[in-house]
Amino acid sequence: MQEAQLNIAINSIRVRFGSQALTRAAELPPPQPWPSRTPIDRLTGIGGLPHGRLTLLSGNGTCGKLTLALLLLASATREFAHAMVIETRSGFDPWTLLPFYPELSALTVVNAPAPDPAGEAAVALARAGAGFILLMGEIPEHWLGPLESGASRSGTVIVGVVDAPGRAFAHASSLSLGFSRTDWIWERGQLVGLRASARCVKNRVAPPLGETELEIRYPLGTKALSDHRGQVSEIPSIRVEGLECTSAVV
Amino acid sequence: MYVCCGLTNHLELARRPDLYGSPVVVGHPGGRGESPINKFEYVIAASEEALQFGVAPGMALRQAEHLCPQATFLPPDPDSAAHLRELISSALYDLAPTVEVRVEGFAWLDVSGVVSAGESIREARRRLRAATGREPRLGLAPGPFSARLAAVRARPGRLVQVDRARTFLAPLSSHELPLDAEQLERLDLLGLRTLGAVAAIGPRELESQLGRAGRHAVLLARGLEPDQLTPWRPPLFTSAHRQFEEPVEDREALLFVSRALCGDLAEELGLRGAGAKHVRVRLMFESAGRAQGALPSAAEQRETIVRHPLSSAAELFGLIGSWVKEWQPRAPITELWIELPVLEGAGRRQLRLWAGGDGNSEEVTAALERLQERWGDHVVHKPRPALLSSPLPAQRFASSLSPSGKGSG
Repeated sequence: MQEAQLNIAINSIRVRFGSQALTRAAELPPPQPWPSRTPIDRLTGIGGLPHGRLTLLSGNGTCGKLTLALLLLASATREFAHAMVIETRSGFDPWTLLPFYPELSALTVVNAPAPDPAGEAAVALARAGAGFILLMGEIPEHWLGPLESGASRSGTVIVGVVDAPGRAFAHASSLSLGFSRTDWIWERGQLVGLRASARCVKNRVAPPLGETELEIRYPLGTKALSDHRGQVSEIPSIRVEGLECTSAVV
Repeated sequence: MYVCCGLTNHLELARRPDLYGSPVVVGHPGGRGESPINKFEYVIAASEEALQFGVAPGMALRQAEHLCPQATFLPPDPDSAAHLRELISSALYDLAPTVEVRVEGFAWLDVSGVVSAGESIREARRRLRAATGREPRLGLAPGPFSARLAAVRARPGRLVQVDRARTFLAPLSSHELPLDAEQLERLDLLGLRTLGAVAAIGPRELESQLGRAGRHAVLLARGLEPDQLTPWRPPLFTSAHRQFEEPVEDREALLFVSRALCGDLAEELGLRGAGAKHVRVRLMFESAGRAQGALPSAAEQRETIVRHPLSSAAELFGLIGSWVKEWQPRAPITELWIELPVLEGAGRRQLRLWAGGDGNSEEVTAALERLQERWGDHVVHKPRPALLSSPLPAQRFASSLSPSGKGSG
């Protein structure tokens, strides 16, 4: 019933504004995926993060979004010639990346003095064809259009990490994952990680697939850092997949 | 080496897609006032519909007329065919490191080492279909010779893949070898009617009968692929210009035209996978002297050599637009020329052949350098492990300020 009504609405929009005005996400040619080998590949619907698009990881407080972003960044440093971090608050410490075994020779950090230079840097690097860009915050709205077109042309994978995205930033993203912490993990009285729920709140590259439950373990202990590998793993029993959704992209 | 061959129509036929479906024969025309058919002239290309009547390339044009009188006879246009060949070559250029296209309708792509060869082949099929208007036949084999024969045996739009060239070639007729009629006849007299039979004898034995061509034929028949592809290379100069019907004085109009020309040039550069290393803009002025004869002084030009090749419309217009904005032409402009006299491979050349975006390294480094020039060196740094066990975060990493990572700060 709901789908029939949606079809009627889609048809009326197409009659009113033309056949190209509105396209089903399933009918769009999907962008090439970059398999990040993390549990969120399953949520994207194409088996990886989309090349040439902005992926947003959002969530309030400590909910695992930054840990997952660092895992993606470390993976990108091993696979791409250039992995970039663009930050505006001098808050990125490469040391936090080490538990994920990055290839530091491929990592470049752009410490933008203000949001505007951050936007300019993101656009310039996306146009130049950097393999992966991690945005540690929002960029001004007027840079989002050039960023989308530049990334689309070069195929750059862009991931943004924000607590709560602004309207323009959320609109510019093709894939948006919302994180929320469900539980802390304690072992022997010590906090060793957290459980978080990752939900696909927006997907313009494939039909939305629902949500998954993640278990994120922090590297802890007195051993050398390299002996402890940060972990982000999926909890299969809780994962809900294949939610029936019908969506359209204008 | 693994070569994909796309077989299309002879490019003399492909330039007239409106005649698809009817018999067409391409041969030399007669002189003015004479019949278009001359007995001394021969068939260059014949469509599949004409081939069914027994017409074959190389036969006398008059004979072709007898066999297929209803065919449309066309004079050859080597320039158009060569132009079409250039277009197809440039269209396929970013799909494989080595591309060769021949007027006879063969397009070879050396896909060995290509990250996603299947995708390149699918895209080559699509582009060949767009260029010639017909589904190409595709063959994938260890070399150009076997790939061509595999393509000949494929259905339109389908691929015949050959894993072992010698096994595939063995049952085929020896007339597939690139030998002249006399040499083929001698092969028949020697009883060598299949490529398997030719492969079974030694190269020296056949060389003693046919000369060097005999040795070459044995190597081909054995699937050893002695021939290499001749890679197509894009021309290293390009330009675009616009002549104004009415001399232009308005700067906005000039900017508008400049932007359009930059777009055209960028599209061409994108096809070639090239970037402009040298940019020149010439403005031709309305001048009384120019009407009487060429006057070099009736033009102004500005040129520069750029550090990193420009390849996109935005990059080109960024430079040229800034010139036009500050230019003070001394008279109304009749013609605008944008010339790119020196081209070189752009960072984004054949991007899909590079894993991980390594092909963009120069452009990314250039972008980082531009950011440093604009916002200061400290904006970009590459962290290098120094004293990781230190409790002080500042001591754990030493930052290199050079985007290329060569220097350290």
